[in-house]
Parts: sequence; structure tokens; C-alpha cells
Amino acid sequence: MSKPNEAKIIGASLPRIDGPEKLSGAAKYAADNHLPRMSYAYGVFSTIASGRIQDIDVSQARQMSGVLDIFHHGHFPTLYRTPSSMEQENKVDETRLPFEDDKVYYPGQFVALVVAETFEQARAAAYRVKVDYASEKPIADLEQALATGEQPKPHGESGHERGDPASAFNQASNQIDVIYTTPMETHNPMEMHASTAMWDDGSLVLYESTQGVIFARNTMAKIFGLPVERVVVHAPFIGSGFGSKLWIWPHAVAAAAASRQIGRPVQLVVPRQQMFTTTGHRPATQQHIQIGTDAEGRLVALSHETVNATSMVNTVAELAGRCTPTLYSCSNVKVSHATVRANIGTPTAMRAPGAAPGLFALESAIDEAAVAIGMDPLAFRKLNYTEHDEGQDLPFSSIHLMEAYEKGAEKFGWSRRNPEVGSMRDGNELIGWGMAACNWEALKQDSEAHVSLRSNGTVYVSCATQDIGTGTYTVVAQTASAVTGVPVDRIQVKLGDSTYPRGPLAGGSWATATVMPAIAKAAKAAIEELKTYATGDDGPFQEASMDDLQFSDGQLSDGNGKSITFGELLKEMKLANADGRATTSGEMNSDYSYNSFGAHFVEVRWDPGISRLRVSRVVSAIDVGQIVNQKTAANQVEGAIVMGIGMALYEQTEYDPRSGLPVNNNYAEYLVPTHADQPPEVDVLLLDHPDYNFSEFGARGIGEIGITGLAGAVANAVYHATGKRIRSLPITLDKLMA
Amino acid sequence: MADDRKTEASAEDENATVRTSRRNFLKFSASGAAAAAVASWIPGQIASAREAEPVTDDALPGQGERRIKLIVNGQEHTLNVPVNAVLLDVLRDRLNLTGTKKGCDLGQCGACTLLVNDVAINSCLSLAVQHEGEKITTLEGLARDGELHPVQQAFLEEDAYQCGYCTPGQIMSAVALLNDPNLPKDDASVREAMSGNICRCAAYKNILAAVQSARSRMGGLA
Repeated sequence: MSKPNEAKIIGASLPRIDGPEKLSGAAKYAADNHLPRMSYAYGVFSTIASGRIQDIDVSQARQMSGVLDIFHHGHFPTLYRTPSSMEQENKVDETRLPFEDDKVYYPGQFVALVVAETFEQARAAAYRVKVDYASEKPIADLEQALATGEQPKPHGESGHERGDPASAFNQASNQIDVIYTTPMETHNPMEMHASTAMWDDGSLVLYESTQGVIFARNTMAKIFGLPVERVVVHAPFIGSGFGSKLWIWPHAVAAAAASRQIGRPVQLVVPRQQMFTTTGHRPATQQHIQIGTDAEGRLVALSHETVNATSMVNTVAELAGRCTPTLYSCSNVKVSHATVRANIGTPTAMRAPGAAPGLFALESAIDEAAVAIGMDPLAFRKLNYTEHDEGQDLPFSSIHLMEAYEKGAEKFGWSRRNPEVGSMRDGNELIGWGMAACNWEALKQDSEAHVSLRSNGTVYVSCATQDIGTGTYTVVAQTASAVTGVPVDRIQVKLGDSTYPRGPLAGGSWATATVMPAIAKAAKAAIEELKTYATGDDGPFQEASMDDLQFSDGQLSDGNGKSITFGELLKEMKLANADGRATTSGEMNSDYSYNSFGAHFVEVRWDPGISRLRVSRVVSAIDVGQIVNQKTAANQVEGAIVMGIGMALYEQTEYDPRSGLPVNNNYAEYLVPTHADQPPEVDVLLLDHPDYNFSEFGARGIGEIGITGLAGAVANAVYHATGKRIRSLPITLDKLMA
Repeated sequence: MADDRKTEASAEDENATVRTSRRNFLKFSASGAAAAAVASWIPGQIASAREAEPVTDDALPGQGERRIKLIVNGQEHTLNVPVNAVLLDVLRDRLNLTGTKKGCDLGQCGACTLLVNDVAINSCLSLAVQHEGEKITTLEGLARDGELHPVQQAFLEEDAYQCGYCTPGQIMSAVALLNDPNLPKDDASVREAMSGNICRCAAYKNILAAVQSARSRMGGLA
């Protein structure tokens, strides 16, 4: 009975169950919480990129009305650093605590924090805090860091080598040897990072804009030296994060410490300008790619070596070569990563970390290799296609990349492409068609979940993961519905609270894959619990054994015509609910390599008369296993495509090479795609082949894949239209006019 | 705070579940599992947000403050506000109308869009004292009697959002543009008109579909 329902509900095209809350203004984000006696904090941020604080004069600010306290390195409680462990789930990227000492490592670093009765008072006083700096000449960016002569620090564990790439390259009949660069990018989620902190009898309660309430709880517990049960973190809604809200950043520590010091709740919002400096970014990369092919176009050598800029205080490597050992068949491959230090904030993961900048470079270079031997770039990719991950020497658990190539090409009309540069035209516009592959590793984590069948006929589900906009609330409800047969409008889903059963970070495209098995197992446990009650002394099925009872569509039946809904059963027995709890492991069968794939086909239009470049059409065929919700899944990929267009054409966080200070740290000068930049046609084909080697539901996750390869496809289309091979993102007009 | 410690479902029975059943989100409703009456909590929340208690400051304005009357979603409030207080902050911090969001505080992102006398503005660029006696409409004021406004309903059906943070501003801009007889109705014009509202999740395709769908369901009038 439950099978047809299961088939329908998983893969359905459902509106989000959290939609009405978001659409009515009822959804509470971190800064929407107004607690009794709450005060407001506003930061003072360093106006130099490197040096030392000589003196902080708070005398004037302290006299201003409403000011409660002003914290800085000379006036701040002693806290502890977190060990920053992924295994212990207390990782951060910037381990240095705010106000730890008088050092300034990057511009926009917290140097003081004003707490006042109102937001206006805190902000006004923050402007009156006088900081006297001893400034040193900064290393402003990747370029300057490379020029210092400092040897890049190798990131050993992420490298890969097979065969003999150097001699294979030297002997190859065709060689591509190029350097690509990608700039620093800033996540810029719409919601500014925010913390609303309060202390209750020695316990910390934190409303934080975070992609991981469990990580946030564990991290704050370490920093304040508390057992984890003394910290509660809430994030039922977050205004997305794209990676910038995976870990705790200094502002949350500052807000919590200030709250404890003044004995009142404190709200702190990181201003948009400082979200460019103190809450992470995608670091700038320089990528050296060498491709050798034989006369037929087969890859014989592939080398991908990346250096990225990290901060002075922590090492974060951007693993741009992460897809390179995997995506193509090639016997001789080398991948390496290394970092150099600059006076910038600490980098962090940004949507498809590594893969997004890495596949821009790799997929552009593959296009170059195809063009160099006069081969169609799609045919080149098909020729070098593999269903075996040669990097790990394992078969892929499921791969439909060839189908993605074919279906995407057909929908796009790739066969009508004239390969000659600048040959396709529409009025004044030159049309360019380019394509690229996409790839993202499929991951899952350990998780716990709680499902409760309740006497009022509803189902309650809780898990300490987050819905960052990907649709997790709805996916969780669909999963519970699939197991219980109860429609989603009678399923209440609670996420984003560290007191719920431990759930995963919402990142890495693993939330769906991680929580679905835990929810399903907990739901089954709740059904078993119900059967135990039903066959007990007071139960309506006391004559039956548990094995005789069937549960489907929310009812328990004995197969002899007697059936009763779980709500009626519980009510009859005067029981509130039947609870099920479950723990599931993220461990995967080591016989396979688990990856998602896809192909982007992009049309650009270049009007040389007025130097206008637009992306006018995108077709993307995406292979992520089972699609759980058609609506939210397509939305994820469509959004990632547009973020990829931003990466390709607009986004670049710039620093003044003389002062090291940020130049464009706001939404008007750091350009993200607006509605007017949206291509008129974006078609996403979701291939929807469940990957049962990966999990019982076969869903591999969908958040990152859409941005991977997109910038490469745009760059390849730009080359096709203009003949200009732009190897440095973003592809701005000056580069095309040069 | 007691409600921070909830771990058991039973603690929540009173508020039990679920989403508005009015729209029949699911066509495949399971036979037999139905509870007799299911509370629908969303319309209730909409109503309570809109009918916020009037706030009245009885004290005389303090130094640097001025007393103003704000009419928000039909409700009149009498407030002492600092002259440098921004409308957005007064709505959020004083009136607890947090449906209107702050995305940049610089007038660059559109998250704080609301209507003043039916004209869309960035409320982060406007001082509260400039709006004495004016008719302010926020997201919380759109729904009527528990029914979502046609633009809200269209956003729900077209999945015209992801994280939901820019959504209040998108919806308010959409309401304003659908009420503006001077704006052309074609897709390109709507894209242009909606470009003051950044959506970093980039649900633009669905936002356009929602605006056009709301247009037809409103018969051209909001």
C-alpha cells in the first residue's frame, strides 16, 4: 500500500512547507529575535591592513548616551580557542579570537565593539572610537604574495599523481600549457551575519545565522570553556550562507562575550562592508594547467597545480584540482595545491569550493586542447569520457554524464554550431556557444533524527540540521511522508536547533543525502513503537503479533479487516505519541567512487559596437541521482547557474594594492547578478537516475553542482564569439576590448 | 527561556502542526489517516503579525528624539524616536515588525523594500521622522483574513525564493509594480523593474513567473 505513495512523494513537485512562514514575514532569522532587555552591539573595524593597535581612545564614545560598554583587546574576557576539528564538529576557519591582542592581520578586522541601549546609539558611538595604529606595509593580494618570493606552502594531503605526467606531456603531439587566475569572491548571502546572544544561569543561548547549529554549539562551548549542554544554538531560518556561515566567525564570539559581561542579551549584525573581510571569502587562485593529447585527441598528460592566497593567521587551501583526477580518462596526471599568505581575512568554503574555480580552469583548458586540434569540444569530452574514477581506481557508483552530454546538446541545438570563431551572428551581435562538464563529489555524514506519531494524527520530525534555502524542511517532510503515508500537510518539521537530535552541517551538498536515511529509520522505529503499544495488554491488537501488523497510509491493520489510524489508536490508549529515534552512519561502501555530474551549454551574445556581453541562454543537464523535489531541485540548479554567471562576468573582491584596503566592499561595486542579468532562457534537465549504491533513496545532493563548470562554459562561449581566450576571471569588458 | 529546552514532541502538542490545509498542497492525501480537525497555524500567525498591538510611548521625547505617529498596516503607533533613526530599524526594533529585512543598510539590495503611500521605497534609506502620518505597508500587512495576498500565493506556487530573506522586498516591489499602470507588462520590463531587489540565491526565473502569474490572477490590479 505504501509503495505507490512513496513513489509519488519522493520526486514530487511540492511547494515548500516553510513557504507560508517565509512569505508572511513570520519566519524568524537571527536578527529578528528581540529579547527582553536586549542591547545592541556595533563593531569598530581596522582601517589598516597590517600592523598594530598603539592606542584605543574610547573616552568620547563612552560618554555618549546609551553606551553600556566598549570592548577591545585591553578590555575583553579571556576565552579559549577552539581546537577546530572537523571530527569533533567544532571547526572554524579563523582560529584567532576577537580582541586577542593588539595585532592587525587584515583590513576590516574587529578592533573594538560598542554595546549600547539602541542600535543607533551603538553605531554612533562606534564612529567615535579613536584607534591609533602603527601601520606596516601590507601584502595586499595573491599577486603581491607571490611576488614576495615566499615559497608556497604545499597542501600535501590533497595532491594526486599517477603515471609520469612530465614526460608524457613532453612527448605529447599537442600541448596546452597555460595559467588561469580566479579572483577573490565574496559569498554575499542576503542576510548579513548576525548573532543574538543571551546568558541564562550560566548557559549561552545563541540565535545565530549559521549553516550548522551543532558545529556552532560545539565551537562556542570550547571557546567559553563550557560543557556542550550549556550552549543552545537556534537557526530555524537563515538568509543563506553559500559556505560563509558554515563555521563561527569572530562576531559571534564577540556578541556572546559582550552579553555575558554586561549581563543582558546582545544583538550584533556584521555590516555588509565587513562581510567582505571578516566572514570568509573564496580565495584568489593561480592555476597552472598542462594538457597533452595524442594525434586523435586522447588525453595523455594532465597537470593542474594551484596556489591560493590565505590569511596571515590560518591556512585554507582552495582545492581547485579536486575534479581533475576524476573527470577524464588519462594515465598521467598530477594535481597539487599550495598557499601563500596575504593580509586578508581567512578564506573559507564558498559554493563548490575548489570545483568552481578549478573547473573554470580545467574546462577552459580542455576547450583549448580541443580547439588546438580542430576537434569539437563536446566530441573531445566524449572521447575522453570514463566510467571509472582513475584517481581512486574505482568505478563510479552511478554515472550518466554521457546522457547529460547528449540530452543537453540536443536540447541546446549544439549540432547546429559552426565551430569557426565569430561565425555565428544575429544582427549586430556575435553569438558564441560554449560548453563544459560539471562535477561534484557526493558526500554524506552521520546523522540522528526523531520522528513522533502523535495522538492528534500528526507526525513530528526533528533534526539539528538547517534549511538554508535548499528545501530541507520540505525534503524531510517528504521523507517522513514516504515512510508513514501521512500527507506532508500533517507533518511538522523542526530544524535548526542544537537541542534536536544531532544533524549535519548544511553544506557540501550532503544535507539531503545525510538526513533522509535518518528520518526514514526514525519513522520506522516510531511505527515499531506503535506496534508494540498496539499489541500490548491495553492495545487494540493484543491478539495479534507485531509481525502480523501492517502500517500504511497512517493506519495499522491486522490483515483481517481490522484497521485503525495511529491517532485513534494512541488516543484510545491514552498515549501522547509513539516515538522513534535513529542514528545513521555516513559511511559508504568503499567499492565505489561517488560523484555527481552534468553538462552546461551556454550561449553568449557580444555586441562589439557597444561592447556589450550577455549570457542569453543556458541548458544544463544534471545527474545527481534521485530528485526528491522537482521544484526545489530545479531552483537550486537554476540559482547556481546564475551565481556561475556572476563568477564568470562580474564578481571580484578588490583590494587597493598600495593600502591593502578593500575597494568594492558593497553590493553596488561588487557586482552580483541582478534580475536584469538573468538569461531569458535557462533550461535545467534533471536526469533523475537514483543512485542506490550511494543510499537507499539514491539522492546525491544538488546544492553545488550547478555552479561547477559554468564559468568555463561561458569563457568557452566567449572565445567562440570573439576569438579571445580570457584566462582570468571575471570576463570584464576591458579584457574583451584589449 | 523555557521554549529553548524543547526536546519532546509532546511538549508541543498544543501548537500541533501543520500547514494551511486550504490549498491542498498534496493531491495524494492518504485515505484514513486524517485527524478530525487540524489546526492551521499559518493564517493565525499572519493575523497576529498584522494586527500588532499599537505601541504608544507615554514619556516625553528624550534629548535628540522626536515624537511621531506612524501608521503601519493600518495600525497607528505613537513613538519617540531619535531623529537619526532609520525607518527600517524603527519598524524592526520598536514595532517588532521583522518581516522587513536588512540586507545592506545602504540602499543597494532592496531587501528592506516596503510601501509608503503605495510607493515602494528602500526603508533603510529613509528616516522614521520623515514619515509622520504616512501610510506604511509592510509584508505583514498584505495578507487578509488569513489568506495570502495573490503575490504571496504566486511566490509559493512558483517557488520564487530559496532562503526567503530577500523575499519580503521582492514581494513588496512586485505589489508596487503590478499596481503601476505605467510599467509595461512584458518579461523584459518586469526583469528591469525588479532589478532593485537582489536575490543571491538567484531564484529570478521563478520570481518572474510569480509576478506574471500574480498579474493574471489579480486581473491586472493588485
